[in-house]
Amino acid sequence: MQRTRLVASILLLAAMAISIWRVETAPQPVPLAPTLTRQTEYCLTCHSELAEISPSHPIETFGCVICHGGERLALDADLAHSSLRGGRNPSDFSVVQESCGGEDCHSGSAAQARDHIPRVLRSIQATYAGAIANMRYTFGAQEDLSARMGIFAIQDPNPTSSSVPGLSAFDPSQETHPSLIAFSQNCLSCHLSSEPLPGKEYARLTGCAACHTPTAGTDLEQPLHRLTTAIPYTQCNTCHNRGNYELRSMHFQARSDQPTNRLDDYYQPIAQFVRCEWTLDCIDCHTRQEAMGDGHIYSSQKEAEYVRCYTCHGTLDELPLTRTISDPNDLALRLAFVNPQFDLQVGDTIIITDRGEPLWNTRRLPDGSYELLAKASGQRFTFRAVKGSACQQSAEQQESSYCHACHAVER
Amino acid sequence: MPAMPSSDNLPTTPVNRRDFLALATRGVLALNGLLGVGMLLRFLSHPPAPSSANEVDLGPASNFPIGSQTVMAQANLVLLHTEAGFQALSLECPHLGCLLNPEPGGFSCPCHGSRFDSSGALLRGPASKNLKPLSIEQNHEGHLIVRY
Repeated sequence: MQRTRLVASILLLAAMAISIWRVETAPQPVPLAPTLTRQTEYCLTCHSELAEISPSHPIETFGCVICHGGERLALDADLAHSSLRGGRNPSDFSVVQESCGGEDCHSGSAAQARDHIPRVLRSIQATYAGAIANMRYTFGAQEDLSARMGIFAIQDPNPTSSSVPGLSAFDPSQETHPSLIAFSQNCLSCHLSSEPLPGKEYARLTGCAACHTPTAGTDLEQPLHRLTTAIPYTQCNTCHNRGNYELRSMHFQARSDQPTNRLDDYYQPIAQFVRCEWTLDCIDCHTRQEAMGDGHIYSSQKEAEYVRCYTCHGTLDELPLTRTISDPNDLALRLAFVNPQFDLQVGDTIIITDRGEPLWNTRRLPDGSYELLAKASGQRFTFRAVKGSACQQSAEQQESSYCHACHAVER
Repeated sequence: MPAMPSSDNLPTTPVNRRDFLALATRGVLALNGLLGVGMLLRFLSHPPAPSSANEVDLGPASNFPIGSQTVMAQANLVLLHTEAGFQALSLECPHLGCLLNPEPGGFSCPCHGSRFDSSGALLRGPASKNLKPLSIEQNHEGHLIVRY
């Protein structure tokens, strides 16, 4: 009995000594009380060297925990990180609503253009609905090409005549055709919830960060703490233009080269491209609704993509659609603000798309020509409308192949 | 006077095992107690988590003449003195709380581009409200006290 008491008291002493040692060796906490939450957090004790993620998310305002989660007062790394949302990536779609959502943040109203999260979750880059529908139709699992399934189940409460009202989750275990089973095993690596293929050329995160955190050609193990709307084409190419899926074996055939010259190396050798297609970045022409969805669910990329050559250049009969900014709350000004290389002002006339989306990086110049700012590179280009030029294109011939006939660059 | 016995000759009382264990247990428990008291004192003396002050003394009201507009960056506010009296406005953007930058004719948000005129009225979103007025009063010493 006496011996048991001694052993117990020694164990108690050891526990107290360990506790004191841990307290004494713990770092001195660095407090931060961000203005948005007013709750003290100690994350900067270890993470003071981390670069600010973007000018729109200053740490004094947001802190860390509102986006990342975690135990805000913990000084032990394991404990502090024990409740992180999405691990290192709080924009992963499994947690994006908690991390990035909110009425004043990224899941507000469509009228305020703050519905980024509901839009992107219905976008074809997130649902992968087009590829799934195509494969299921090809191998007899469904009767037409209309999308029925996505990477996850999703609904659209206000579908249009050209969109689908909802998708159920694609469940490979319910498929019987060997090619569909192989498709589910080998070909689901190019949507916004999938982990990338191994290799620096595929390096990207998931969710919002797949596009907004530039990682192309980098080591994903490095600290990554950046969000930007100036997304270079190289980031798009972590998924796009990397090879093809071979439909007989249902395996991805990666391109064997590592292209560096965009005109000569990057694209398929038989295709033709005009100058703006290989000098600009993808986001200079393709709009936010094309990339992140317009809130509706579509069956194919063709239904989601709609910007054409004439959007900027017009036709023989029509100048491009434009809008002169008169409202200081115009969406174009808000979008331009987060890319301060382009000083858009009330009174400027910008090009708009068929659906009224502002191409905020364009401006009509006093001589009737137009200016475009490349969002990622900062380069400025001027161009003229087709109307009044020597172009002989007919009004019905607006597909890019007709433009390529005369304007494709030799290579 | 009897001679002191040498240490070699001191009478020895054999310590049996039971007594030794009891003595050792008491010693270890005493050490535990000391450490426990030390930890308790350390805990009680630990400074509380810092919290932002809920009021700030802006100094004598006479420092701010009528017509003045004074940005108090440390307090995240702008003090206006008009014919109607003193008014303090928060310089935290009512959209998400970013600290506004003074600019000619008003204030602008460096995060998302909201703008306000010099009286705090909203000129441009994404904020949807004017700058928040703060409670301000003059104490018996003539100092302006702002409460958040």
